[in-house]
This record gives sequence, C-alpha cells and structure tokens, in this order.
Amino acid sequence: MGKPAILGTVVLVLLLVALPWLVNPYVLQVLVLTLAYSMLGLAFAFTMRVGLPRFDVAAWWGVGAYTTAMLMLKAGLSFWLTLPIGGLIAMALGWVICKVVIPRGMMVFLLAGMVLTMAAQQIFASVPFFGGWGGTDVIPLPTIGPISFADKRAVYFLGLVFLGINLVVYKALFSSKIGRAWNAIGSSLGLAGSVGVDVVKYRTANVLIGNFFIALSGSYLVVSTMVAIPTMFTFANTINVMMYVVVGGMAHTLAGPIIGALVVTFIPEYLRVAKEYEPIITSAAIILIIIFVPGGILGLLKNQLWPRLFPTHRQNPTTASDSEGGSDGAA
Amino acid sequence: MALLELREVSKSFGRLQAVADLSMTVDKGEIHSLIGPNGAGKTTVFNLITGTFPLSAGSIVFNDENISGLEPHQVARKGIIRSFQQTFLFMQSTVLENVLTGFHMQCRAGAFHEFLHTPKARRTEGACRKEALEIIDFMNLGPVRNEVAGNLPHGHQKALGVSIALACHPILLLLDEPVTGMNPTETGEMVERIKRIRERGMTIVIVEHDMKVIMGVSDKITVLNYGSKIAEGLPHEIRQNPQVIEAYLGREEL
Repeated sequence: MGKPAILGTVVLVLLLVALPWLVNPYVLQVLVLTLAYSMLGLAFAFTMRVGLPRFDVAAWWGVGAYTTAMLMLKAGLSFWLTLPIGGLIAMALGWVICKVVIPRGMMVFLLAGMVLTMAAQQIFASVPFFGGWGGTDVIPLPTIGPISFADKRAVYFLGLVFLGINLVVYKALFSSKIGRAWNAIGSSLGLAGSVGVDVVKYRTANVLIGNFFIALSGSYLVVSTMVAIPTMFTFANTINVMMYVVVGGMAHTLAGPIIGALVVTFIPEYLRVAKEYEPIITSAAIILIIIFVPGGILGLLKNQLWPRLFPTHRQNPTTASDSEGGSDGAA
Repeated sequence: MALLELREVSKSFGRLQAVADLSMTVDKGEIHSLIGPNGAGKTTVFNLITGTFPLSAGSIVFNDENISGLEPHQVARKGIIRSFQQTFLFMQSTVLENVLTGFHMQCRAGAFHEFLHTPKARRTEGACRKEALEIIDFMNLGPVRNEVAGNLPHGHQKALGVSIALACHPILLLLDEPVTGMNPTETGEMVERIKRIRERGMTIVIVEHDMKVIMGVSDKITVLNYGSKIAEGLPHEIRQNPQVIEAYLGREEL
C-alpha cells in the first residue's frame, strides 16, 4: 500500500467514525439502512461471480429478520445467539432449494429466486405464528456490556462491524483458490467444467455463504426497526439490491455494492419533493447509468476521472496486476 | 493398447442424427485425427467424450472404465481434457491467471487452508505458479504472461487454450481446431508443440481442417461424414481413399 492509499484509508475511517455526530438523526437512520442494504448488495455481487443473478435476496433477509425476532420474543434468546442461528437456518433451507435448482442452470435459479421471495413474504404474512401482515411484536433491544442499541449511533457502529466482517470474509474467499474456481465458473461455464471444476458444488457453496450473510443483514435490520413486518421483504427490495450492484459497478465486487447502496438509497430521499414521481425518476436514472456508465460509478472513477486527475499514476495495467497476486484479476 | 474406445456411439438432436453408430479406438501415445467436412459431427464427438452432451446410444470406455454418463468435471478428473474450438478463455483474466485456473484439480490444499491462506495453501500455490510458468514458457507465451487474455492475438489465444488444458495434467488431450485461423508461422510452431506434447507421454486426439497439418502430425486418421465413419487408417491410406476423396470433392485437395 502506497502513502496516498494509507492516508486515504485513515481519512475514510475517521470519517466513518465521526459520521454519526455530523448528521441529523434522520440521515443516521438512512445510513443504518444503507449498511444493511450494502450487505445484501455484497451477497448479490458475490453470487454474480458464479454467473447466478439472485432474486431470492429478500426471502433470506426475511428469514434472518424473523429468526431473530421470533427467537427473542418467543424463546427469550439473546440477540447475539440468534445471529448464527438465523444464518444457519438460511443456509439449511437454501441447501434444500439449491439441491433442486442449481443443477438446472441459471434461468431456473433466477425464477426460483423470484418465486421464493414472493412465497416467503406470503408465509410471513399468513402464518399466525409470525404475527400476520402487522408483523411481530416489538423486540427487546439488545445490549452489549454497558452499550444499549437504543442509541442509533451504536446501531450504526454495529452495522459497520458487520459490514467489515462481510468484507473480510469475501475478500479472503476471492483471493483463495476457491475464488479462482468461482471466477472460472463466472467467466466461462464450459471451460470451468472442462478443467474439472464441479460447477454445481461450487455454485451451491457460493449461494449458501451468501445466504448466511443476507440473513445476518436481516437480523441487523431488526435491531434498527425493532419489528419484522412482511412488507419489509418485498420483491422490490430484491430489484433494489440488483441496482446497488449495477450502479456501483459490476466489476467491483466489494466496493461497488456499498457505493451503489449509498447512492440508490440517498438519491430517492432527496427526491421527496416529487414523491409520486420518485420511482419514475429513479428508474430513468438507473437506465441512463446502464447506458452511459456501464461500468457503474467506480468504473467511471477508475477509467475516466482517476487518470485525468492523476496522469502520472496511469501505469501499465499489465505490470500492476502481477504484483497484486491476481486475486482481482478477473474483476 | 487402447486408451479410449467408442463403442457404437450415437447422438441425435431431435430428428437430426449428428453421430451414428461410431466406433473408434485411440491407442496410448498416438496422435489420432478426426476429420470430415463441415457438419460431419467431429465437435459433437468431442462433446460426447467429455460428457458435455449425453449419449443417445452406445458407450465410451477410457482406461478400461466406462465413462458414459459422467458429468464434464468428472470426465476431466479421469484425465480427459479438451481445449476449446471457440477461443473459450477467461477473457478478463491474465494469461497466468488462466493457466492457474487449469490447476484446479492439481493444487488442492483443502478449503480450510485455502480460506485462511495457511502456509500449506501458500506452498501448493507456489508450486502451481512455478509449473504454470513452465507451461507458459513451453507454449511460447512467456512475453505475454501478464496480458489480459481478451487482448491477445488469435494465435496466442489458441496457445493459451492448450496451456490451460496442459495445466490439468491430461492423460488424453482433445485439441479442437488447434491451428484454425493461424498464419503459417504460428501453425508451424503449434505443430512442433503438439509433437512435443506427445513426447511428454500424452495421447492426443485432434479435430482440424488444415489437411497439411493433419497429414503431418497424425499417426492415425478417422474420417467422418454425416456422423458416420467412412474411413480409418494411416495418413497415406486416407489420402488415397476414394470415399474420402468423394466426401471432400470440390472442397479440399487431399
């Protein structure tokens, strides 16, 4: 890491730490949501690496949220204990579905994801145990030592920690040999199979890891909202998640979804004046981005702005990629 | 000794009979060519051997083991590796990354080690990297090893396709049109390398249109037309076979 990179990281960390005191409570609440959304975006981008667009995000998000809410309310479990349980439930249910769906290819996976999202919402709403359309009762706020999560700042920092865990795990996976096999599947299915990659096994593993983190995000969401309501887990959510990834930049599997989630969440917030037109304006903006900035925001920064601002930094990409160990070579 | 044996293999797509009752034997250590006019079913035969398409009838035996019905990655594990006809590479990765991907089956340290980047994982990775560089040099790709595959000229991409296949440590190497679209110099180099690959102890099956190359490298040739075998034999026998000449009449000079 060069000096500018270290400096940039320090500034970024300071900014992230100071942020809760710099913004008003409303913006803080939106930031908390953005953290939850970012984790969903990361999982979407993560599974896109193996060539599978996942439209089941809202379903597993709901599974995490409802697991946490129900276990805290009905069983009196600690919030912290519900986190791995929610993740493991999402993985176990996901495994059963993957068994059937993944061998049948991308389209079946995609369609099954859509059905799953809609079915999950319906189940949360119509099974009385889950509290119907009105949602669950209000959950008790978790605490950790002297810190109570009644303070939105604490919730924000919890989200940062979760997001950090997401990033560390994804990064480690991508830069391992497992990541290389995933990239192989994503860039050429036929070739991946012919060099001996078990496509079904690797895709399943990827999807299930994604499920775990999506459910974790769902559990986190409940700390912020204090209830789980079926209408929080809609198909529109799933579409939004895809937009984070596209807007942020598909090629940037880690930073892209986070930047995208920030932009896609905040822009509509500032369009509140034109509330009824907001979906139209947002959709139009997304289409324009796809047409004119296909690489997303990060693609634009990297290919257009960065070389213009720092012409001396423009180095031969081929010499740069070697020293990097090639982990992001296919990014 | 027979390494690969196709026994009355058939494949139909709906009402189209792509391969009909094809039997052929590939002996250990030989370079065996599969030729025929366009649409004769040569690439389909590769797809059947590698498990990309399921067989409609018949069976395929490799190393005295029935491999019909296996998935492509299972066939690859038995030691049958193909290089693709379409330059089907990992286009956004570098040459080195591409070849390293081919080491998927060789360099396994276990998921646990790989995720945590333990010393064991790093050692296996290092060994693979070393061998990948050797293969890259062998295929004359040394100067471009850090280039992105998508930016390479056609000839280099073909060579890269073969390099990935070599990284899989094949027993039987299937080369799908290895010189198509190459200039004479590149073609000459590729032919040399195919011969050297055989010297390393691999058995090779080639599908190719370039008759000069076929006649130059093959130990044995099988000729397909409309999915059926019309001739089989040594290069000079094939050259004089009236049925083969008829199949190619007006298309190629043999």
